[in-house]
Amino acid sequence: MDGYGTKGWRLLLREAGYFLRNALGSIFSLEFVTVFIPLLLLWEFLPRLGVVPKALVPPLSTVAAAFWELLTERHLLTHIGHSMGKFLLGLGIAVATAIPIGILMGWNMAIRKRALPLFQLLAPVPPPAWVPITIILFGVGLPMQTFLIFIGAFYPILFNTYQAIKDTEPRYLASARVFGASELTLILHVYIWHAIGAIIMSVKTGVAMGLVMLVIAEMYGGRTGIGYLLVEAKDFFQIPVMVVCMAVLGVIGWFLIEVLKFAELKLSVWKIGR
Amino acid sequence: MIEARGITKFFSIVNDDRTADGLTAVLSVSIGIGAGKIVSILGPSGCGKSTFLEILAGLQAPTEGKVLIDGVTVLEPLPSTRREMEEYRRKYQFLSPLANGMFRDRPKHDIAMIFQDYAVFPWMTVLQNVTFALKLRGVARAERASRAMPFLKNVGLGDSLSKYPSQLSGGMRQRLALARALAVEPRIILMDEPFAAVDTITRERLQDDLLRLWNATGITIVLVTHDTDEAVYLSDEVIVFSPPPGSVRNVFPVASPRPRRRSDPEHADLKGRIEALFKYDIDHESEYSI
Repeated sequence: MDGYGTKGWRLLLREAGYFLRNALGSIFSLEFVTVFIPLLLLWEFLPRLGVVPKALVPPLSTVAAAFWELLTERHLLTHIGHSMGKFLLGLGIAVATAIPIGILMGWNMAIRKRALPLFQLLAPVPPPAWVPITIILFGVGLPMQTFLIFIGAFYPILFNTYQAIKDTEPRYLASARVFGASELTLILHVYIWHAIGAIIMSVKTGVAMGLVMLVIAEMYGGRTGIGYLLVEAKDFFQIPVMVVCMAVLGVIGWFLIEVLKFAELKLSVWKIGR
Repeated sequence: MIEARGITKFFSIVNDDRTADGLTAVLSVSIGIGAGKIVSILGPSGCGKSTFLEILAGLQAPTEGKVLIDGVTVLEPLPSTRREMEEYRRKYQFLSPLANGMFRDRPKHDIAMIFQDYAVFPWMTVLQNVTFALKLRGVARAERASRAMPFLKNVGLGDSLSKYPSQLSGGMRQRLALARALAVEPRIILMDEPFAAVDTITRERLQDDLLRLWNATGITIVLVTHDTDEAVYLSDEVIVFSPPPGSVRNVFPVASPRPRRRSDPEHADLKGRIEALFKYDIDHESEYSI
């Protein structure tokens, strides 16, 4: 038991190492650092030298100080935790519903003909347009915020999954059918694998749309989260705080996309070396 | 024993301007293929020979006629009246008519099929491709790998078990398809231009592999091809399809005993006769079309 446990931990550590190397590799590459560091220096010194107004464009050091203050005195980590919690809940519900519905619609024409037009009519409604009615239905709070994030992420995942499943190469289906595959086996072993790249891509789009809706949802209601901090900072004209919030959102989005890229790398190992 | 009785396949097409059109792919084909034989279906491109093979496999329903494998019908022909068609649609509303069923893997007939463009699954390794086919035939999980191994070794893939098809050459991919088809130990293998996409040397080696494996197992092989050499070298019988709509133009038995030589003068004579037939058909057709 002990040996197995150690082995599991070691495997986890190794995978985490791979992930970090993959994710951070592009940022800490020599090519990018030679561009990034001068940009940071410009950010620091242009306001200080008075080239741009210092009151409107806070230099990097001011933003860093504001970040430290938020971290130590204003519970930034708690806010991030709350935002991430809502976000992952909304995104999770979207993934758990959109992917199965997309698979069903892509797999079977009879289901597609009955379900697709409904989604095609509802999808063009811009997600922020759902805000007023959601506030009336759910009040201000977690359910409303989760629902808005869900609405943002749902359609891109649904349509891309459906399209990818529908475009499954017929010869793979034919060869599995001749061997005797049932429809369930076709879905689990042929359709999904053929579409896996497109499905992960659709979740990436879902993450981007979900983040948009996260900020909107937190601006409209609730007392926690990055979006709330952002609006509060606007009311007090704290530009450095706003910049910190934007940077935090950027890093969250980047991190989630990297996680998905890593998942894609692990799941579609067979595409590499082509 | 495969028996095709009056197989006709008609595709209806709706044009862009909403007018209806039709295409007869296969017209009234009746043939019998004896057990343990290698039979080639040879014809110009677009003559419906691939469609005919898919009908034999049960991947398409014929418009008319039926296919019997050892006396059992493969697929009911499409209904002709509107009411029957409605019933047919209702029956298959949530499943394609070619489906084996919803949850249980069970082949309708003891057939394996090999496609031109190696329909091996790129997301499975060499070994997984074969064990997946065995799983579909209800082989227990513990037995699958040991059942797959001899067939993979036989086609020279014993050392590439954990490779993905994208890491294999075209010839090796087709060998994998061959191993996968043989591993399920079918009584019939249907091949749709299996060696068309590989170079000449690889093709000849694959043909010899096929003959060697056929010798060892004695299965029935139906081979669709447009290569006269291949048809004459491999088969017991060459069925020549006419230009579209495809129907049986001539049947040539190949009597020479195996092992055969590729340069057999008897083969050259037969090839000459088949090619003359093609030439006649094409010339004859162009007289009509001009």
